[in-house]
Amino acid sequence: MREKITNPDAIRTWPGKVPVEYVYTVGVASEPFFRALMERGRLLASPCPECGVRYLPPRLFCERCFSRLEASLELEPRGTLEAFTVVHVDLDGNRLDEPQAYGLVRIHGADTALVHRLAASDADEPEVGMEVEAVLLPPAERTGSILDIRHFRPV
Amino acid sequence: MGKVAVVGAGMTRFVRRAQETGKELSYLAARMALDSCGLTLKDVDAVVVGSAPDAFDGVHMKGEYLADGSGGWQKPTLRCFVGGATGVFAPIVGWYHVASGQFDTVLVVCEEKMSSCHPHPQGAFLTIFDHTTERALGPNLLWIFALEMNRYMTVHGITKEEIALVAVKNKKNALDHPCAHLGSEITVDDVLNSEVMAWPVNRLDVSPASDGAAAIVMCSERVAKRVSDRPVWVEGVGWHLDTAYWTNRDLYYPRYVEYAARMAYDMAGIKEPRKEINIVEPYDPFDYKELHHLEGLLFCKPGEAAKLTVDGVTARDGDLPVCPSGGLLGVGNPIAAAGLMKVCELFWQLRGEAGRRQVPGQPRRGLAQAWGDLMQVGTVVILGI
Ligand SMILES: [Zn+2]
Repeated sequence: MREKITNPDAIRTWPGKVPVEYVYTVGVASEPFFRALMERGRLLASPCPECGVRYLPPRLFCERCFSRLEASLELEPRGTLEAFTVVHVDLDGNRLDEPQAYGLVRIHGADTALVHRLAASDADEPEVGMEVEAVLLPPAERTGSILDIRHFRPV
Repeated sequence: MGKVAVVGAGMTRFVRRAQETGKELSYLAARMALDSCGLTLKDVDAVVVGSAPDAFDGVHMKGEYLADGSGGWQKPTLRCFVGGATGVFAPIVGWYHVASGQFDTVLVVCEEKMSSCHPHPQGAFLTIFDHTTERALGPNLLWIFALEMNRYMTVHGITKEEIALVAVKNKKNALDHPCAHLGSEITVDDVLNSEVMAWPVNRLDVSPASDGAAAIVMCSERVAKRVSDRPVWVEGVGWHLDTAYWTNRDLYYPRYVEYAARMAYDMAGIKEPRKEINIVEPYDPFDYKELHHLEGLLFCKPGEAAKLTVDGVTARDGDLPVCPSGGLLGVGNPIAAAGLMKVCELFWQLRGEAGRRQVPGQPRRGLAQAWGDLMQVGTVVILGI
């Protein structure tokens, strides 16, 4: 059968689903990261005392040398745009009313990139290498999630 | 094939809900295994990750997700998975990485984080059944174990009281394990009076769902002799698959375990396992499974394992200690990590490092076994010193 099946009822079927949901612990390394974001609007990174790589978001361990790390570096939520995309269709293939831009941001003082939304604006087309900053939710609305950052926008 | 040794082992505590993420758990176990033998990540040539269904952690491609915590950064890294049998299959994969001559030092890490899955990890098992002929009935794993336990008890005339002794023994053994989730002193009556889950399975007949990780370091003979004064050697490995349709077997006897065991016995040159093996860590997610598996492993005739338990032969200080760790029933059941925990236990027991769990008499050889997929895969590892 080479055509996309648009009417599955035309053949005999049994409907099914996997009825599970997940609750993920953010983990030992991410607890202080989200607390700092929620309470102080700052980003924590974990520098490796052996090889020097600064991980953001922080990690419990250095993947390169297996040192145990602490999220000891507090950084301003600003950085450089390393790459971007502008998404025009949703997961089902429908056109989005408003295209949404996403980017990889290397926070100043970190060696790894953070993926997040970019502000939509006709005036400010994203450009690789541009300086961007995080726009945070008002403190009262933050919940300790990555979405406490609304998006990044050009500085 | 080259000789292969286990030179280090480590594990996290097994708990109901770990704060650590899956990769953090993997790191803690892997780092402990490396530290235990004075090696670092630089000494590791390749990594084997073992983890059961992605649906437990709720992360698709869990092998890739766990790779960094398992030490796989910029190394040949492979994830293996044969359901519940994974924890004893991963060291087999580690073994052939080294026995082939391709690698000298391999880190083997098994992880499971069952607590992410809500309302219960059993939900993730619903889709392992045939989607057309079985799922319409809403089956879960407890049903098929209840059917198997019923068949086993009926064929051999074994009582629930005899079977409950396994839960009593293993949970008590686990009191001496610093990583145990559910060590406790219980009685046969406690088991019989616990809530009926799916008759004849009561709550205390079943191991708990846990979070945790375990790891071992495997080396070639050349490296093992350099880095370890007491390497523990892999003497035999075996794995086997029976029919994938669980309804096509007679459930009273685990043939897949017997065939896996025969493969490992042939390799190790073992003719009489009951006389030549000193410690057994068979897979015990349910109490009757320890008996079922002891029979499949040919430690006694079918139907006779219950008597070994009643007579105290399988106690930690008995003639044939079985699950001196406390097993899955007592230490806990983070699926793949639970199987590798059994291999870690053999490593510590054979080196005389099992502390309060140490079986008397300087054991020379032990066997670990796990079983999985839809009850048709058996995996066996034999270690000796
Ligand atoms: Zn490092």
